[in-house]
Amino acid sequence: MAKHSPVTGRYVTFDVDGKEYKVFYLQNGKGQPLVCQHTAGCHNHQWRGLLEDEEITKNYNVIAYDLPRHGKSDPPHNTEWWKEEYKLTADHFCNFIVKFCDALELENPIFMGSSFGGNVALQLALRRPDRFKAVIPVEAADHSPGFYLDWWRHPHANAAQVCGSGVWDLMAPQSPEKDRWLTWHYYTQGAETFKGDLYFYSVDHDLRDELKNIQGRKCPVIMMTGTYDYLTPPEATENTARQIKGGVYIEMDDIGHFPMSENHDVFRVYLKEALRIIRERTDG
Amino acid sequence: MKQDIKSWADKYESITNSDQTIAAMSKYYSCSFMFDMEACKVIIEMHDGKVKHINTNPGPLDAYDFALRASEQTWREFSQPIPKPMYHGIWSASFRKDLKIEGNHLVLMQNLRNFTVQFELLRKSGVPV
Repeated sequence: MAKHSPVTGRYVTFDVDGKEYKVFYLQNGKGQPLVCQHTAGCHNHQWRGLLEDEEITKNYNVIAYDLPRHGKSDPPHNTEWWKEEYKLTADHFCNFIVKFCDALELENPIFMGSSFGGNVALQLALRRPDRFKAVIPVEAADHSPGFYLDWWRHPHANAAQVCGSGVWDLMAPQSPEKDRWLTWHYYTQGAETFKGDLYFYSVDHDLRDELKNIQGRKCPVIMMTGTYDYLTPPEATENTARQIKGGVYIEMDDIGHFPMSENHDVFRVYLKEALRIIRERTDG
Repeated sequence: MKQDIKSWADKYESITNSDQTIAAMSKYYSCSFMFDMEACKVIIEMHDGKVKHINTNPGPLDAYDFALRASEQTWREFSQPIPKPMYHGIWSASFRKDLKIEGNHLVLMQNLRNFTVQFELLRKSGVPV
């Protein structure tokens, strides 16, 4: 018997910094918009569990897009992008997310992202607390050097396998094997973008002197990190949250750097707590 | 209880050669690497996804492509059925613990998919230290 998912996909086209992007996004649910960013070099299937989580989609309009150059979102259609090396910057990343929310006419969305998506959530809290109701930086920190590596697209190695297996240890051994291999599979698909994404993650993103300027009371910042994350280990996230006015840190046991993708059943427990805190600190 | 090195080598070879995940993509998985566990060192030679030979008493001039070097305690942590955080792989342990990856990193990267799977088989075989 065939079974249709309630999740639907659409494309939306808009300009960001002179680049024309045709962006693919998945959506399900109603109520408070919850915009979800996948991790570097990956795509929106990482949010597959959340998108079909009936308890959450009952009250939240879950929207998970593919960042341009990822999944079904093409590189810009109006530039010869193949003639320059891709390096994602904090400015462009933030501008893209705001333009995406504008294009979908989302009012007071909550923004959630993991890894480089978590780092950009911190950037948004700093730059645009007026545009977002709250942010949930997952597996994030003020600074995350060390992963802008040539190996991700070295021509003498199988880049797809290097990306897939290079992030394997970012997941917890307790996470279901099926979900870890799905995440591996997604990572084999993004080898050409992973390193460029990590330019933002490990080079351009540095908020060590800016955390004090994040208005965490106006735009609540709820940070969550898994105990098996070696890139942004729990102490890095906790140290970041402590320096943000009103910042909250939640430690997630027995999970790694891709919590929504490697083990949604565990992740959702902590996510519900984050959403509860946001409801408590905002008007609903 | 500490395993005899030769018994361990036989077990590790058997577990590797019967692993379905490696077998699913075994062609060209050919390289050699050293596990340096301080008091105990081995060189494992792979050929098309199978263990060709495990040298349990390597001499100073015996060759290999790359080496993993860490304390005995770290190797014991690697071999737990569910390792503690930061001992759950070569990336985590090299970023956060005392694991050193030395030699030709390119060969490691060229074989990373299968090597990662094989490394985790230590959770079934245990370690001889």
